[in-house]
Amino acid sequence: MQPTDSELIQRWQGEPAPLLPLLHAFHERDGYLSDDALRAVSQGLRIPLAELFGTVSFYHHFSREPGGHGVTRVCSGPICKLRGSDELIEELEGAHSMACSGRCDEPIGVLRGGEALVGHVGGELGAQPTPLPAPNPGGVEECCFRSIRVEGRGSIEGYRRSGGYRALEKARAMGGEALLGELEASGLAGRGGAGFPTARKWRAVREAPGGPKTVVCNADEGEPGCFKDRALLDHDPHAVIEGIAIAALATGATRAFIYLRYEYPWIQEKLERAIVEARDELGELAIHVRRGAGAYICGEETALLSSLEGEHPFPRNRPPYPVTCGFEGTPTAVNNVETLASVPPILDLGAQWYAGLGLAGHKGTKLISLSGDVRRPGNYEVPMGLPLDTLLHEWAGGPLEGRRIEAVTMAGLSGGFLGRDDFDVTLDEPALRAKGSFLGAGGIMVFDDSRDIFAVAREAMAFFADESCGKCFPCRIGTRRLTERLSGEGPTDPSIWKEEVEAIGRTMSQVSACGLGIAAPLITTSLMRLFPDAVDAHLKRP
Amino acid sequence: MSQLTLDGRQVPFEEGETLYQVARREGNSIPTLCYDDRLAPLGACRLCVVEVEGYGRPVASCTTLAEEGMVVRSSSPALEEHRRTLIDLVQSENPTGVEVDPLRGAQATELAKLAERYGSGGTRFAGSTSGRSRHDDPNPMILRDYDLCISCYRCVRVCAEEEGDHAISITGRGFATRITTEFDGFLEGSACTFCGQCVQTCPTGALGDQRALRYQGEPGDLEATRSICPYCGVGCSLDILTKGEKIVGVRPALDGPANGGALCVKGQFAWEWVQHPDRLKEPLVRKDGELVPATWEEALDRAAEGLARVRDRHGRHAIYAVASGRAPHESAYTVQKLVRTCFQSNQVDNCSRS
Repeated sequence: MQPTDSELIQRWQGEPAPLLPLLHAFHERDGYLSDDALRAVSQGLRIPLAELFGTVSFYHHFSREPGGHGVTRVCSGPICKLRGSDELIEELEGAHSMACSGRCDEPIGVLRGGEALVGHVGGELGAQPTPLPAPNPGGVEECCFRSIRVEGRGSIEGYRRSGGYRALEKARAMGGEALLGELEASGLAGRGGAGFPTARKWRAVREAPGGPKTVVCNADEGEPGCFKDRALLDHDPHAVIEGIAIAALATGATRAFIYLRYEYPWIQEKLERAIVEARDELGELAIHVRRGAGAYICGEETALLSSLEGEHPFPRNRPPYPVTCGFEGTPTAVNNVETLASVPPILDLGAQWYAGLGLAGHKGTKLISLSGDVRRPGNYEVPMGLPLDTLLHEWAGGPLEGRRIEAVTMAGLSGGFLGRDDFDVTLDEPALRAKGSFLGAGGIMVFDDSRDIFAVAREAMAFFADESCGKCFPCRIGTRRLTERLSGEGPTDPSIWKEEVEAIGRTMSQVSACGLGIAAPLITTSLMRLFPDAVDAHLKRP
Repeated sequence: MSQLTLDGRQVPFEEGETLYQVARREGNSIPTLCYDDRLAPLGACRLCVVEVEGYGRPVASCTTLAEEGMVVRSSSPALEEHRRTLIDLVQSENPTGVEVDPLRGAQATELAKLAERYGSGGTRFAGSTSGRSRHDDPNPMILRDYDLCISCYRCVRVCAEEEGDHAISITGRGFATRITTEFDGFLEGSACTFCGQCVQTCPTGALGDQRALRYQGEPGDLEATRSICPYCGVGCSLDILTKGEKIVGVRPALDGPANGGALCVKGQFAWEWVQHPDRLKEPLVRKDGELVPATWEEALDRAAEGLARVRDRHGRHAIYAVASGRAPHESAYTVQKLVRTCFQSNQVDNCSRS
């Protein structure tokens, strides 16, 4: 029998961060979010109805149409697009497109109800396990992926067998201060893109007044071209849970959330199972899994917190920073999946070991999701400072037969394009910043000489425009205007076109309120810098 | 007191002040569109960005707290270029050539004035428009002309933060963002109480006072006369708008000590009866059961005679007067004077007392 409205509300009313799971419960029960469901949720959680109505409309995957939950959605991210997602949408009856679903290593990602599938043009849809990261060719030592290929690593027995939860035990013996000292020495910095030193963040939460303190694992991996967190969560969930437990120990947090992107439904079950399995290890620490509902901006830590709290998911103004005023105003450490999964090996093997993994004075490693026109796409853990060329040609096997790599995007899409002359760059922040780009969450998409880079830029900007939250003016209007200008609308005079595109980009990158608007114009600035001929050819078109 | 450097001058500030508040106190006219000092700063329009030494990018002065020793520049060629671009962008999302009548609301011409200041003609960055007016909403008070909306969310914020109604909110994302009620319906039937605060904070005239707009064509200069709302005992300050001898609207005083820019549906929208054709224009007295026009002298004599008779027969406490909230303040004063001095009684009240 289906649960009643009041049963659903009673189930979630007293839980922390109840809005998203309650909406999902109605969505799954009814196949959409009806007016009555919104009224019931509004009353049950005491959220004004108009606000709830508005907030629900923010998320791509909450449907207000009967049957909407079961609609087939096909990934139209940059790589899936190259693999024919538009044709696949035509083939599948009633299918819609969706933003990059984090399956760029095995395109094309498809969602149908709660099922995550992959498909290709002219083929059947089917479930496919997340590929294990391939070992790198040089046998270069890894941190996060060190044990991920061990048979049975996903279960608690397999995890323990391969050294799991040893670091947590060690951390308990060390105590918070010594633990932070060790982490500081390792040089571990946020792996979600911001690169903030992890030890410093945790210390700030530890020393902040007020509580209860909170740890949030940001698993809202929404950047197009990024699928590293999926590999970690799918094959090594306990590593992430152990990282959360250590973060809680270091910060004094008594509760934790994992904010998981909507497009990874099966991982929610996996995580919830793993949390139950790890009960003895976690002690008093409660870890709650909350699933997003399709909004790229929720990967931004303050928008994520707004979303968790059931508010309209706009990024917040900083300061105050989450470390003093995060989830429900409490001191909160928000960390990326990869950052948290790096912590157990670091504590286990020592700060010096981790720091020594990097090349040429850089510390540690970075997971790179490599996709597109290379022979061996997939997740790679590279030492910081590895030349991009080495990754593209030696690790990933280089371009396809008869092709030449023409461009890559960095930081998923947020780092803009790098061209052939840039491929000697080393993968570390200072080197990439010098090229006007950055590593970000570590997605690199590869485009060879058969691709229309201008079209890739247009799709990229359309993505940013679609995901812009609508709060700050430069991003809300700027992403739209840039998309229009890449789509053949706007001024026809090339010099006016360029002046406008540059002016919009300058203002967006300087005064936007969050990383989305700051980064988005890197697409157009790098396009105009690297591919002026493609731009001119496009502008000449009648 | 702490100090910072603003445009080369040492200026004092108090802890908790934002850079924008400090700058404005110092007479600086940093432009804004999403700012309303009654509301929590949102940091959306980014026009108020300033340069702070040691910061990588300009920061929104409305959301940045002043700190000891900060070196702040509120204007520079780069900042002015960003502001110009932002004004051009925001102009481009609305239809061009719309003349916004100041009768729409207290701050309806804010964007128009900024566009003039920055010489923005509304043609740069031309592209699709973002608003969607709700001319289908039949309510007679609030015009919802969202074609002119710039998504500053001042209406949504004032409704939640000041009025506490939470009647309107934000739907959609990015450029497709719209202002909505629950289920995208009309204001009537939503949680709206028609207080009109959204109208009075709107910086573009996307929300308008429909009552006032009836007098758009009325000749004469618009004048504002400060008064106090007569409808209840709160004492909300308001400005009565007139053109010539005609009342053409009411606006809350944003600096009103009791109301800080708030009014209720009565204070905001119920004023047209003042010049309603059905209003009595001369005294009437009852003759043979019929009300007939009379001179003031006759009417006053009749009233005095009646009241005096009651007093003489039943004593002064047999008289009780209630003045109407719709009468002018001067009349209310006169009524209590009459009761207290002529009848020697304190039995006087006003419907505004509640």
